[in-house]
Amino acid sequence: MSYQEKKTIASLVSVVLVLAAYCIFAFAQTGMVRASLKDWAVIMLIFIGIGIVAAIVIQIIFHIVIAASIAIKDKDCDDEKINQALKTDAVEDEMVKLIELKSSRVGYVATGIGFVAGLVSLVLNAVPAVMLNIIFISCSVGSIIEGGLGLYYYHKGVANG
Amino acid sequence: MAKKIQITNNIRKLRFFADEMTQQALAEKAGVSRQTIIAVEAGKYSPSLELAFRIADAFQVPIGDVFDYEVKGDKK
Repeated sequence: MSYQEKKTIASLVSVVLVLAAYCIFAFAQTGMVRASLKDWAVIMLIFIGIGIVAAIVIQIIFHIVIAASIAIKDKDCDDEKINQALKTDAVEDEMVKLIELKSSRVGYVATGIGFVAGLVSLVLNAVPAVMLNIIFISCSVGSIIEGGLGLYYYHKGVANG
Repeated sequence: MAKKIQITNNIRKLRFFADEMTQQALAEKAGVSRQTIIAVEAGKYSPSLELAFRIADAFQVPIGDVFDYEVKGDKK
């Protein structure tokens, strides 16, 4: 498995964890049904913050694990060799950019569909909190689709053009 | 409508004749990751013209010696 695939998996794990934590927190509590829009906004802002912190922490752990695995494989290597190995693995070349472009396009479409679904829920007389939740969750689902599709392209290959 | 073409390559053969050049060495010469060289060699990714020239330059052969194409459905 390549460095980029591992990095994508690390990002996916952080998004899935934060989404799961949000769903458990928001929907497992019966009191949230009657929560005001302001309460929902506060919860979402908190979870956006948690998401950013989780993504940073998971990326740091990921780099530590990668560096440790290089050191275990090659017992004679020093810090310079580890840095060099990380640098060559982490090259963002044209294939990586193409995969990111293609997968993020699909991710944006999924997020857009969620946004429209949120607006439709308002038209169908759902409470505004439902719309907020649909939009928030669709952003996370968009990221998950983006990551999953990225992994698919890394594994199966990607057509240029 | 334009016919679809399949790009093929001789990278494995050229690496063999280049004293069994490793994929990592070729990747460093071409300025891409090893993952990209693996994908190009396996025919999973068609490189840009620029990368194709850089790969050919790494072997010091014309680009036509590295890459070829087949029109899908046609036998060359």
